Amino acid sequence: MDDDELIANLAGGDDTALRELFTRHAPWLAARLRAVLSPPEVEDVLQETFLAVWKNARTYRPQGQAGGWLWVIARRQAALLLRRRGPAAGPLVDAAEPGADPVEAALARVDIEAAASALGGPEREVWRLMYVEDRPVAEVAKLTGVPEGTVKSRANRARRLLRTALGGGTR
Amino acid sequence: MTEPDDVDLNRVWTNLAAEVWRRHPGRLERTAARLLRSPGLARALLTTPSLLVPWLVSTVVVFGAGALLRLGPGQPVVWLLAPALAAVGIAYAYGPGVDPAWELSYSMAVSERMILLTRALAVFAVNAVLGLAASAASGAVASLTFGWLLPMTAICGVTLAVAVAARSATVGAAAGVAAWVITVLANQTASGQLTATVTDTETYLPYVAAAACAAVAVAFLTRPQRGLQ
Amino acid sequence: MNVELTDLTRNFGRHPAVAGVTLTLGPGVHGLLGPNGAGKTSLLRMLATVLPPSSGQLRLLDRDPKSPAARREIRRRLGYLPQNLGYYPAFTVVEFIEYFALLKEMPSARIPKAVATAVERVDLGVKAKARLRTLSGGMLRRVGIAQAIVNDPQLLLLDEPTAGLDPEQRVAFRALLRDLGERATVIVSTHLVEDVGAACSEVALMDAGQIVFRGTPDELTVRGQDHGVGDAPLERGYSAVLAAARS
Repeated sequence: MDDDELIANLAGGDDTALRELFTRHAPWLAARLRAVLSPPEVEDVLQETFLAVWKNARTYRPQGQAGGWLWVIARRQAALLLRRRGPAAGPLVDAAEPGADPVEAALARVDIEAAASALGGPEREVWRLMYVEDRPVAEVAKLTGVPEGTVKSRANRARRLLRTALGGGTR
Repeated sequence: MTEPDDVDLNRVWTNLAAEVWRRHPGRLERTAARLLRSPGLARALLTTPSLLVPWLVSTVVVFGAGALLRLGPGQPVVWLLAPALAAVGIAYAYGPGVDPAWELSYSMAVSERMILLTRALAVFAVNAVLGLAASAASGAVASLTFGWLLPMTAICGVTLAVAVAARSATVGAAAGVAAWVITVLANQTASGQLTATVTDTETYLPYVAAAACAAVAVAFLTRPQRGLQ
Repeated sequence: MNVELTDLTRNFGRHPAVAGVTLTLGPGVHGLLGPNGAGKTSLLRMLATVLPPSSGQLRLLDRDPKSPAARREIRRRLGYLPQNLGYYPAFTVVEFIEYFALLKEMPSARIPKAVATAVERVDLGVKAKARLRTLSGGMLRRVGIAQAIVNDPQLLLLDEPTAGLDPEQRVAFRALLRDLGERATVIVSTHLVEDVGAACSEVALMDAGQIVFRGTPDELTVRGQDHGVGDAPLERGYSAVLAAARS
């Protein structure tokens, strides 16, 4: 049974469908959340997420995008928890710009990492070297052994793919 | 992606399942739990076989028929039916005769005796109220409207005592109904009137005595040290 | 010590079902073996406070079950699975377990989580909201085990718990027993000798109302070394001890 059918059954009150959905999706959601949350917080957020799924399954429009829908809910729960937690504990990412919301920044970084994992090998490497490690084009060309022009076009492709992935999944 | 090692997904699922599977008691059960000061007793009360909706509906129907049937002017047969109905209800409120998990119930913190008494009283009260409503609606004379309450108490007591002694709801119900039929016929033979059994004040003392003896018998039969045998 | 019995007897008319049992048990999984009519069920019923002893002393969880208040305290911490457990056909699995959790006077707030935990421990998660009348015999037995463990009992009494379970479920059940035996006193009454060998740290053998052997499964095996009857070492020990007791 695919995810859309599961969610439809879930909306009808079938708790075994929730169980199956949980088994399929909780592991990767947990892994993604673990980047910004401690283990007990991950557990809390997962619990709230799937409870929300149970209550709101009727609002899901079947488009084969169950994973994205689940992540949206989980992300919202994670943001709620992070804001409640306050600035106190936990290593959030140092905000890129002063005055930026550290919670949004942390979650955006998770989104970006998730989107980046969908990039093909060469694009991902260029992305990592140029944008994560902040190296100039010339150095990247030398490290990867390809001409600077190729590096630039791979970088463009990576940016385009990421923009699409992030634009679709995070709003 | 596989889950991180330090996240316990089983625990998450159990907490989730607890919320999804939980039963939400209705207002009646919550009120009963407060009054009885025991959620377990309230749940046991509201799952009494003879207090479930189908049974109650049947009781209302029978009482309704009783209000309409007449043996004579101003004599609807509610008085005749009420004790028998209540007796059967009491018999089927009870444990071993009717509770498949009775051996387990004996090991519970909420005692069998408490459950039995609470259920019996509730069934009696419900039948009394329904019977009175039917009597009042049917326009019976006063003696027939209330006169059956005392015999009903006696017959219910007898039924409960027999059901407990025999550990069988069916035996209890049969004994109760039989006792009532015999009582009615005996009084009719003695006085020539069918309704004598509820209108004749000379029957009151025997009824009270029968009810008292039954109460003592039930108390003795449900004493904790008897347990199962 | 969770269970202390001194010369406990139980008579039915003139027949002595339990004829003087003295036993002290702490935490762990204890097996109770014996042929039919040995008195195992009567003994278990006395431990479950559903049957009063005819004579002798009984102390459960450091309390004397004669007094109603103590009996109630014991029962809150008790889990019992009778040999024949009837079911309410219209109840669902969680409703049935919750019913007995309520009757054991568990705090209401703790019940949903305890029920969910018990259901998952006996691997009935996919049947949680199924009505009992739709379940197989083995599943019903697991429901019975679940209601016995829902209140995390300090004293757990199981009478023929594996009846109807397939071999894979029996293995899972033994793991559950070992887990429970870490903090509670678990007594498993069974005639399936191999269940005892795999899960129990200690075994008692009953015959004609008395305990005729008490020791580890290995010690029982040793007793059967020169004895012919039985396919497995533990079975041979079992019949050797019985034969000796009856001669």
